[in-house]
Amino acid sequence: MKMVAFFLLLVVLAVGGGAGCGTVASTVASLPGVPESVKPAVDIAAKTGEKAVAASREISPSEEYYLGRGVAARILARYPLSKDQALNAYVNKVGQTVAQKASGARPYKGYHFAVLDGTPANSFACPGGIILITQGMLKACANEDQLAAVLAHEVGHVANRDGVNSISQARWTEVATTAGTEIAKQYGGTLGQVVGQFEGAIDDVFKTVIVNGYSRAAEENADRAGVAMLQQAGYNPAAMTAILTAMGAKGGSGGILGTHPTVTDRLDNIKVVAQEANTQMEPVRTKRFQALLKP
Amino acid sequence: MKARSVVWLRRWRLLLLLALIGLASGPAVGTAQIFKTVASKQQLYATPSYSGEVVGMVPEGSEVTIVQQSGDWSQVEYQGQKGWLPARAFAGGKKLDLSSLLQGKAVKESKTDEVALAGKGFTPEVEAGFRQKHPELRYDQVDQIEKFSVSAAELQAFRQEGGLR
Repeated sequence: MKMVAFFLLLVVLAVGGGAGCGTVASTVASLPGVPESVKPAVDIAAKTGEKAVAASREISPSEEYYLGRGVAARILARYPLSKDQALNAYVNKVGQTVAQKASGARPYKGYHFAVLDGTPANSFACPGGIILITQGMLKACANEDQLAAVLAHEVGHVANRDGVNSISQARWTEVATTAGTEIAKQYGGTLGQVVGQFEGAIDDVFKTVIVNGYSRAAEENADRAGVAMLQQAGYNPAAMTAILTAMGAKGGSGGILGTHPTVTDRLDNIKVVAQEANTQMEPVRTKRFQALLKP
Repeated sequence: MKARSVVWLRRWRLLLLLALIGLASGPAVGTAQIFKTVASKQQLYATPSYSGEVVGMVPEGSEVTIVQQSGDWSQVEYQGQKGWLPARAFAGGKKLDLSSLLQGKAVKESKTDEVALAGKGFTPEVEAGFRQKHPELRYDQVDQIEKFSVSAAELQAFRQEGGLR
């Protein structure tokens, strides 16, 4: 029987080297034919395998969602949610129109858009799909197409997972190795530990979104993604150029403008992708925008 | 008699090894299950990673055959094309419970998924702990934002009015 136990352990360990080994090993341990004397050894092998998988895993869509809620809650503590329901509904319609053209998988619970009270012109993309835009940024937009450009740029950041990518590698490795491991369970404090790591990850993303800005490549990719969404949705893609130029002229550095690269560089980046557009219906869109934004 | 016993034991161990490898490889034993995707325009990746090469697209409501699973990713076969889909492609965005696949039973989502998440990173329990620690944060407004919704009919009318697609 000892030989059988050793044999089983070897098989489980060998299988455990691959992805998803924890599930397989646990399943093997729970099989009716596995002798009781072997189960503890199989369990240990299974748990060792789980740790290895956890350490190398990516953040899951649901984790990204909870992280984004935390970032949004922090931003909302600074800029409260606008109580203008008609405006929030309108921004959601524009946002959903461009978001439906986004590449990549839809976030865990979809995209949500909201207007924040606050005069500084700013917009924020939280991981998981919450996109926030200040009253100041709305006022900086001349028409619906420019608003669509701002929202499409932010959707681009979510779709490209730029927020999640701003979590430091060291922190994520810590999260991945701590959570769910036997060590954490045995010595207690799992939740407290993960809450601390959760807070740190929110802080990483918050600092990137609010203070430091995304990298040059991330901003340029979000611009390109935004222009593609505008084109596919039927908005005038030149609106991206127009809002960037307008914001650059004001000398701002928040939200869509970021901190770098320069506006000139970004205009160079998107001019090659901006194509001709059917602007026939643009006046209709501008009219409904002005009805809500420019009383 | 002793020699025959040894031979039998060796054969038994070999059979056990083959059976375990068969179980471990799961879908390879021919009990693959079919699932429907619920998210629109899901990209099919060559590897279980968003940075992997995109090898195809799976429209909403498509039936895919689950080949295997790795973390939150499922390798599927769709119209003869194999590729990886994230958990969000399926109902609730939850990881599929494939444990019963090994036994050949019908696969269904389990509420225990949510419980299992508690020990696997950022979960509702972790968020609750964070909220308790930071009552100043406006989670109430986050909840409010998530309730904003635009119906398909409203969006269609909005797009039509503005000459959008």
